[in-house]
Parts: sequence; C-alpha cells; structure tokens
Amino acid sequence: MSRFRSVLARIIGLVDTARDEVPNRSETRSSLVNDELEERVRARTAELMAANQALEAQIAARVQVECALRDSEERFRQLTEHIREVFWVYGVAEERLLYVSPVYEEIWGHPAQSLLDRPLEWIESVHPDDRPRVRAAHLEKLESGVFDQEYRIVRPDGAVRWVWDRGFPIRDAAGHAYRIAGLAEDITLRKLAEDQLRRQQVELAKTSRLSLAVEMASTLAHEINQPLAAIVAYAQACLGLLRKDRIDPRALTGALEEVVNQGLRAGGIIRQLRDLVRKHPAVQTAIQLNALIHAVIHYMQLELRQAGVAPRLELADSLPMVLADDIQVQLVVLYLIRNAIEAMNETDGEPRELVLRTTLDSPSTVLITVRDTGRGLGEEAAARLFQPFFTTKPSGMGMSLSVSRSIIESQGGELWATANPDRGLSFHFTLPVHSSHELSPAP
Amino acid sequence: MNAVPTVFVIDDDQAVRDAISLLLRADGLAVATFASATVFLESTSVQQPGCLVLDVRMPGMSGLDLQKQLRARGSRIPILFMTGHGDVPMAIRAMKAGAFDFLEKPFQGELLLERVREALVLDVRQRVRQARRAEAAARLALLSPREWEVLDRVAAGQYNKVIAAELGISLSTVEIHRKRVMEKLQAESLSDLIRTLALANERE
Repeated sequence: MSRFRSVLARIIGLVDTARDEVPNRSETRSSLVNDELEERVRARTAELMAANQALEAQIAARVQVECALRDSEERFRQLTEHIREVFWVYGVAEERLLYVSPVYEEIWGHPAQSLLDRPLEWIESVHPDDRPRVRAAHLEKLESGVFDQEYRIVRPDGAVRWVWDRGFPIRDAAGHAYRIAGLAEDITLRKLAEDQLRRQQVELAKTSRLSLAVEMASTLAHEINQPLAAIVAYAQACLGLLRKDRIDPRALTGALEEVVNQGLRAGGIIRQLRDLVRKHPAVQTAIQLNALIHAVIHYMQLELRQAGVAPRLELADSLPMVLADDIQVQLVVLYLIRNAIEAMNETDGEPRELVLRTTLDSPSTVLITVRDTGRGLGEEAAARLFQPFFTTKPSGMGMSLSVSRSIIESQGGELWATANPDRGLSFHFTLPVHSSHELSPAP
Repeated sequence: MNAVPTVFVIDDDQAVRDAISLLLRADGLAVATFASATVFLESTSVQQPGCLVLDVRMPGMSGLDLQKQLRARGSRIPILFMTGHGDVPMAIRAMKAGAFDFLEKPFQGELLLERVREALVLDVRQRVRQARRAEAAARLALLSPREWEVLDRVAAGQYNKVIAAELGISLSTVEIHRKRVMEKLQAESLSDLIRTLALANERE
C-alpha cells in the first residue's frame, strides 16, 4: 500500500514540476493555453486521488477478508482438531471424502490419510452386524444428504467402539446438495452407561417385585397366624375336653363353630390379598390414586392399629387418573406409611399424626404427600436417606426408600423428603396424569 | 396371697383370647382374659398370683411395654409371650428383659399348657421366697444396733471372747446379746441365724 502511495507522490511531483516550468519556458504563449493545461492537470490529479482512495479501500477490504479467512481457517482447524468428534466433508460430485479431521485416527485407529486414500475404509471398519444397515444408510445419504446412525466399529486392535455418525447436506445457490458435512462421535462410554442403566433397571424391577412378594408373604403370614392360632387352640381345647370325658355339648359346639369362623376369616384374608394383586397385565395403567390410598390403608389396618396411628386423609376431590404401575405405587405408599409409623414409634408420648394428601400439582402431575410427626432426621442422615441399605432403624434393611424412589422415577415421577416446620418428615412423590384424563375429573 | 393362681391372657384378638382361654380352662386352670395391656394394668389382677400369656404386638401399649411397666412396679410375675410372624427381634428383646418364654403363633396347645404350668410353679416359688424374705427382713428390723454388731461378728465366725474384746464389753454381755438375737430371729441354731441373714440380704 505504501508503495502505491510513493509512486503516486512521484507522479504528482512530476506534474507539479511541469507546471512550474511552463510559465518560465513560454511566457509569450497565451495564458489560455496555460489555463487549459493547468485545468487538465488538476482534473488528472483529482482522478488519480480518487483512484488511489478506491484502491486503498479495496486493499483494506481484501486484507480484512484475508485476515478473517485466516482467522476462520485457524478457528476451523482448531475446532476440527480439538473437538472429540470427527468432522468430515464428503464431495457428492467427487464421490469421495474431501476432508476428515485428525481425531479420526484416535477413534478408528487408522490414520486419517488412509481414509482419504481408501474412501470405503470406514465402512469396512463397521462391525459386521451393523454393516448392512450402515451401508444402506450411506447410499441413502448420497441421495438425501442426511445421515444419522449409531453403529459399532472394530478397531485394528480388535477393540469395539460405538460411534454416533450424522451428516447434513450443504447446498449450492440452486439448492443442490453438493457436499455433505458430518460429525462422528465416540459414544462408547455413553452406550456402556446406558447398558448398565438398563441392567440396573431390570435388576430393580426384579428387586421391587421381590420386595413386593416378600412384603405380601410377610403380611399374609402375620395376619393368617391370628386365626390359625385361634383354630389350633380351639381344636385342642375340644380334644382336651373330649379326652377328659368332660363332654359339654354347648362348650364343644361353641368351640367348633369358632374353628369354622376362624377358618373362614383366614380365607377372607387370603382373598383380600389376592384381590390386591389380581391380574396385572399392563405395566402402566390409568389408576385412581385416592382409591389406591384407601386400599393400602385398608390393607395396613392391623399395622396402623397396633402402632396407635389413625391416618388422616386429605384427598383432593376431583383428582385425575395417573398413569402408573398400580402394584408398584401401592408398594411405595405402603413403604412410606410404614416408614412414618416406624419413625413415630421411636418417639415417646408425642402425638402420632399421619397425614396422606393428594393434590393436583400441575395440569399434568399429581402430588402425593405422606407426613409424619416422627423424630425427623439430622442433616447427615437426610442426605443419605435414599441410599440403599441406609437405615436408622435397628431392624430395617434400608431398602424401602431407595426402592420407592427408583419405582417412582421409573414411572416418570419424583420422590423427595422435606422436614416439617414443627416436627417429623414429609415424603412427597409425583406421578404423571394419564393424558386422556388431564381435564376430566376422576369418578 | 390366698387368691387362686390365675393365667392372665392378654391379646387384642378376641378369637385368640377366647380360644386360649378355653384351652386352659379345659385343663382345669383359672383364666382371666384382657383385650389390652392397659385394661390389665388398671385391674386388681395385677396384684394376683399366676402368670401372663401376653401377645407381644398390640395396639396402644404393646406386650413389651406392659412387661416394662410390671417390672417397674416390682412385679415378678412370669410372662409367656406369644409372637406372630416376623416378631423374632421383639421376642429377643422380651427374653432379654426377663420373659419366661415365648411361643410362636400358631403353637401346640400341649406346649402352651406345659409352659403355663411351669410358669405357675415358678410364680408360687417366687412368692414363697419373697414372703420368707419379707419375714426375715421384718425380724431383723427388731434388732438393736448393739445386737447387730454382735450378729455381724457371730455370722463372721468370731468367738464370743473375741467379740467381747472388740466391742469392749464383758463376755457375759455378749452371751446375753447373742441369746436375744436368736430369740428375735426365731433361730434355733447358728445355721438358722445365718440362713435368715442370707435370705434378708438376697437381691431380688
């Protein structure tokens, strides 16, 4: 740029000298000629100045573009060389890869250059099980410019990695996709985590089913032992009377009638339990939470009575149905009630208040709260509350709260605990409203 | 003390209560039934001899609570706990707190009868012993301080001469005190004397 300026300065200098020389050499020439020349020089100078300015502006602009280009190239290079994803550009007309970022080597285990030399190398490295699918998607991509596949690759060292590869078309002014740009990401860790999560969920489903079975069996055993104990005692009393020849028909009849009654009572308990777990085909169904809570309370009557706890129900009048696995939600409600009972058993002489509340939290969520007046928890215990095997109770396994939380989360809800302002804890959980019931109140 | 030893059956389940009562009565035992621990505690039965057949898990006051209350009141009445399924930890606590035994529902009538009879025998023995202990204590209360000093030394096996020298009194005075002690404690021999003393000193 400065060179242009100095050249220009020299030209202007020559013109000036010529102008100075003119009057000296031909003073006799007419002033008209003089004036005309001067005018032409002035015009020429102005032209040159304008051209110079335009040139300067052009140069500045080009420098800016060059710098910007260099910056953007640098940025692009940095980006493609440092991001964890492989960046690739495919030329449709060229029918080959135009660019692939160096991280390719890290993921695939082949140098990036080898991919440029042998464009089909990437498809050869795809796991044989995934290859047909990926090849089909690749052909489809050439048509549509769009590609989105997760597949496994086998590295030269035999290691298998999961890749998420997706491409999108780059179009020219006429709208033709002339290039396809894409990103391929190593998602092996995520896949492993997903696998693990799935395995854990399967385990959890087993665990919660198992806890349910244990729960049922334990309650069944406890409740049925009462009439059984009575039946055995009545029958043995009858035997005792008969052996001693003290046959008072009235006493024997009364006792035998009681044997019958207690047998029927045991049958009733089993029937009631069977109703609770009857046919359970769909995992998630539309359920009426208020009815479910009533059923659980009914089922736990004995336990509540023995603990000296009368639950207070604050159930919302027109609660929509929720979408959930009813058996599992029953188990959660049961666990939370039992947890509350146990928390209050530890206190002496304090009032034992158990409140069960249902509210419509939002048009799409129902909130259930189980509130006790137990001892509450210290900060440390509160933080570990939902960890498996954490318990503050001498006989507890510490599984019920962690199982409960997993159940609720698997149903699309949340479960958490808060300390009450006065005393005790409240456990809350949410469940999604069944979509077709969002607006209509439940029966 | 002259009341008939009675089996007190305490269970909130009416059928269980009734059936056990019938079983025990068929065997000729005196039975009284209670629907709750509180009702029993507030009745006069709590003073009477016999034994308890007590459900460990009941609404309101549990079997364990009743056991605690009775012990606090100085009652040593034997308690046979009845437990349901899964009450083993409670049963262990009951045994540690001095329960006579526990039976898991449903149980054999024969076993209950056998254990109840043993409990009743234990109760009688405990009450007799307690009565004798009270009597011994009452007699010892009659002794004067000087007689106590002499008794202590006699019980320790000291000769009258040594006692006289230690207490700075004459031999004949020691002999008089000793005779008084024997009379007050209604002891015929030195071994009677020591038995009474041991009985009174016995920890419950």
